[in-house]
Amino acid sequence: MSKVIVVTSGKGGVGKTTSAAAIGAGLALRGHKTVVIDFDVGLRNLDMIMGCERRVVFDFINVIQGDAKLKQALIKDRRVDTLSILPTSQTRDKDALTQEGVEKVLGELREEFDYIVCDSPAGIERGAQLAMYFADEAIVVTNPEVSSVRDSDRVLGLLNSRTRKAEEDGTIPAHLLLTRYDAKRIESGEMMKVEDVLEILAIPLLGIVPESTAVLRASNTGTPVVHDETSGAGRAYRDAVARLAGDSVEMKIAGDEKPGLFQRLFGRTA
Amino acid sequence: MEPQVATGWDARADIARRPLQIRGRFFTAVALRLGGAPDQGFYAALDARLEQTPNFFAGAPLVVDLEGAEGLATAADIAALADALRQRRLSVFGVQNGTAAQEKAAAEAGLIALAGGRDAPLRGAFKPEAAAPAARTARPPVDLAPALQLEPAPAPEPEPAPQVNRLITRPVRSGQTVVAEHGDLTIVGPVSSGAELIAAGNVHVYGQMRGRAMAGINGDLEARIFCQSLDAELLAIAGLYRTSDTLGPELRKSSVTVFLDGERLCVERLG
Repeated sequence: MSKVIVVTSGKGGVGKTTSAAAIGAGLALRGHKTVVIDFDVGLRNLDMIMGCERRVVFDFINVIQGDAKLKQALIKDRRVDTLSILPTSQTRDKDALTQEGVEKVLGELREEFDYIVCDSPAGIERGAQLAMYFADEAIVVTNPEVSSVRDSDRVLGLLNSRTRKAEEDGTIPAHLLLTRYDAKRIESGEMMKVEDVLEILAIPLLGIVPESTAVLRASNTGTPVVHDETSGAGRAYRDAVARLAGDSVEMKIAGDEKPGLFQRLFGRTA
Repeated sequence: MEPQVATGWDARADIARRPLQIRGRFFTAVALRLGGAPDQGFYAALDARLEQTPNFFAGAPLVVDLEGAEGLATAADIAALADALRQRRLSVFGVQNGTAAQEKAAAEAGLIALAGGRDAPLRGAFKPEAAAPAARTARPPVDLAPALQLEPAPAPEPEPAPQVNRLITRPVRSGQTVVAEHGDLTIVGPVSSGAELIAAGNVHVYGQMRGRAMAGINGDLEARIFCQSLDAELLAIAGLYRTSDTLGPELRKSSVTVFLDGERLCVERLG
């Protein structure tokens, strides 16, 4: 049984593409045949974060419009052989996506892959709605910060009304992935507490990814951060993927340990 | 106008003392649909109709529906029609479904252009034979003598509809609006900021209430709002409202009931 998972958020810059890449790679590392699709037509970031931007020849839009076969557009990941990427077009816009086209491509992918991870564009317009429409499950990426939480709430409303799953079952399973978690800023009251976010969004927590320099480093080198086992963010994504696959993993926040007095004194000036 | 500052919960903003209030209110108007440009035949048919129930439409606010009257386009024509209607004790005040040119002409003749509106039952049993259901939607063919239809128009005046309550057992998310048009609305779950609850009757929220709630939207002064945990952006009953700014912090996160006491919107702790 293949599963289509949309990674969405409403707000931009919260870490959707980073999370889609990390979760896709994480699922593939566990042996699942996984494909990650970039729905952000016109911006095209996923292939960079996955480190395959030089290998893009045909894209999602070419396949939808019948200019290329799906096999020609899929790019196999060089690190994990169960992982593929379906990049998007940089020269087109979101109007090039059609519901029938998306359904057809997803249908073909379902025959071959266990997990299909859709990286949604920001916003709640057509592109985001098409990315979520055929999903079986959703991962809502949220920063512990009021505007991000409100946008996620709005997106959850859309997920529960504008997806095929919701039309059939009345609701779609949705998980919360809290990213850019910064214990210090939460302690100082600059950011929202995890329990406050959970209380507002009222969906199960899939993982807490700490703010980490490893994330930017991973983007720059085109290696999904889940490969970086030394970083808190990498470990957090691995745990999240394990939970997504059905394992029960204790929720712990990497980098949660309180810094000592010296670190506090010097940490402030840094 | 002196600025009023609500200093605390007990300093309930006393709206009665303010020099003005703005409230939403529904009214019923009669819509008069023309079958073509008004001519002798039209006025004859109108007079015949008015004779059937001489006092029924006297002074009734009236909207002219221009959908079938393309010929009526100048301000002078529309003003002449309005005069003719007023001579028959019909209080015409607006037009509907006109073209841009017609609306402009109507504005020059002192009539406002209205959008929307819904058919509603007219009080009293007035059933013009011409207002058969088919005739309401289909425009009379041009070769017929100008048909006149008097039909009820905007707004649900309390011809009491059966009470239909609504129950929602899922979170109401930011940007969602839940309406119970003819009864109470009960939410079991949280209501996010930016979500709207609208009910003709009472609103009940069993969960964190961070959104907006409007009870008694058709003017029911007895309607109430009940919140298990109040953190609302806006509370309104029968058009009288208070926002979180004027609610003060004392009752935040407590169970409350909200009701109208005259012109005052009161929020009281429960239990």
